Amino acid sequence: MRKNQFFFLIVLFDAFILSQSSLAQSDYEKTLNFKTRFTQLENAIKNASSLDECKVIGENIVKLKDDFSSDKALLDKSLYPDNFESSFARIERALEIRKGDFAQIVELKTEVGSLKDRISELSLQNEGLITQIKQLQIKSTKDAATIASLQNLVAQLKANITQRDELVRGIVDSLLAQFVKTPGTLNEAEKQAVFKKVESGNLFYNVERTISDNVQFLKVTQMSPEDLSRMKQEFKDFNKVWRQVGAKLADVYLTRRDKAAQVENINAMFGEWNARINDEMWGQIIKLFREKQIAILPFKSGEQFVNSVNSFVDDEIKNYGIKSSKESINTFYLFTDSVYFKSVQPVWIPVLIENNMMTEANKDSVERRIAVWKEKVAPAGFNWTYLLFGVVIAALIAAYFMKGKKKRTVALEEKKEEE
Amino acid sequence: MHIMKYFFVLLIGIAITACSSLMLKPADFSWPIENVLKVDNKGFVEEQRYSFTLKVKSLFFEEFADSTNFAGKEIRLIRDKAGYIYITGKDFKNVYVFMSVENGMKLENKILVTERGLTSPAFNQKLPNIELLDSPNKYLLNNKGIVR
Repeated sequence: MRKNQFFFLIVLFDAFILSQSSLAQSDYEKTLNFKTRFTQLENAIKNASSLDECKVIGENIVKLKDDFSSDKALLDKSLYPDNFESSFARIERALEIRKGDFAQIVELKTEVGSLKDRISELSLQNEGLITQIKQLQIKSTKDAATIASLQNLVAQLKANITQRDELVRGIVDSLLAQFVKTPGTLNEAEKQAVFKKVESGNLFYNVERTISDNVQFLKVTQMSPEDLSRMKQEFKDFNKVWRQVGAKLADVYLTRRDKAAQVENINAMFGEWNARINDEMWGQIIKLFREKQIAILPFKSGEQFVNSVNSFVDDEIKNYGIKSSKESINTFYLFTDSVYFKSVQPVWIPVLIENNMMTEANKDSVERRIAVWKEKVAPAGFNWTYLLFGVVIAALIAAYFMKGKKKRTVALEEKKEEE
Repeated sequence: MHIMKYFFVLLIGIAITACSSLMLKPADFSWPIENVLKVDNKGFVEEQRYSFTLKVKSLFFEEFADSTNFAGKEIRLIRDKAGYIYITGKDFKNVYVFMSVENGMKLENKILVTERGLTSPAFNQKLPNIELLDSPNKYLLNNKGIVR
């Protein structure tokens, strides 16, 4: 019995010694251990890819705090310039911000989901409308009902395209907002968030679809200068946003060749859309001249427009005297009064200048040439109308004074007679 | 004659008082934890928090009688409340106690801890002493030597 008691005491003593030596830990190691775990949690927050991950990190933060609460006094001093509480306050704040990001992403995902449905619906409708418009245009006889139906369909298609453009722009804008929020290179978690957003919003497909529908719309409809101007503005805005997002997406998709090619393709499509709008604008201006039988050379830029007009005017000046005078004057007035000063100058030139397709200098150059042409063909001579008008006025004034003088003479004569 | 004697004593007393330098007391120079610093190729260690550099080449010569084998080795430093700096490292037999002087540190004491050399030393601040751990051993030191 005594032996047993002695053995028990020895075991107890050994256990005490062992526990003492195992508890003897370097304060430096403790601090290092704390800092390592703390840094791991900070990195985990940065790389978290979901709200659930954030929750797990939150639990680990609480655990870390519990594990080291007994060393608070040591850590207060050794975590300079932070202390125990401020370190946890900092990491908890970082976690809350990260959670906020995910809450926003979830919200945006839902929003993008509903946008996606609406976009698909509009895309389908557009397809049907374009087919119907094409069919109606093919019809050889266009009665009033057909024309009205055509106009109605075009208006519907225009409204649909505008609505769809706005929805797609919404997705692109939200992506841009994310890129702006994280300038520089994105980390893996941020890249994942971008992948998800691009995939869930079917972004590439929808941007391609938006551009191709706009191009189709240009092909199947006759657009007014205002419509073209509005579309050009839409193109400019969308292209500007895409250029910012596209460059970032190309970086994000650096390792995925198919997606990088798709970004490149969209860039090319934007180029095609722009060229189409420009061609349509120049085409409509050419049409205005051609409708009046003015054989002007085709043009696709401000410079070419100036060259074509100048070339036409030079030919007309050269041919003055060779052609009959009446014919030359008729061509001049047809060119200036019926086309250039009626539609081109007041309607198209402001649109062209606003969209940097033409300069004020180009306009001045054309108008100087027209002035030279006028001097040659219809010089400003003496205006007989003004002379006639002047004579009439002078006669009226003279008549008025004459009448007044006559009245005074009669009155004097009457007075003399009374005396 | 006696009066003259007292007068001189008083005069010396006044002179000593007047010449003594200004002291700011009390002070606490203790670091909460030790610093583990790696020796660079030139024999220097650099401390970030308290911002100082120190050439420790002579310390290695003193400990190992070899002033070439120091690059990449770690030394552990801690400062006690009084301002003494304790330095040791792996395979060191001694803990060196230094006091800051102008442009350097002056050895105040060299405490022999173990003839076999320390295997995994670590300092802890245990006011007013310094604890030296070398698993499974623990020592309590002050600038004079081993307390316990």
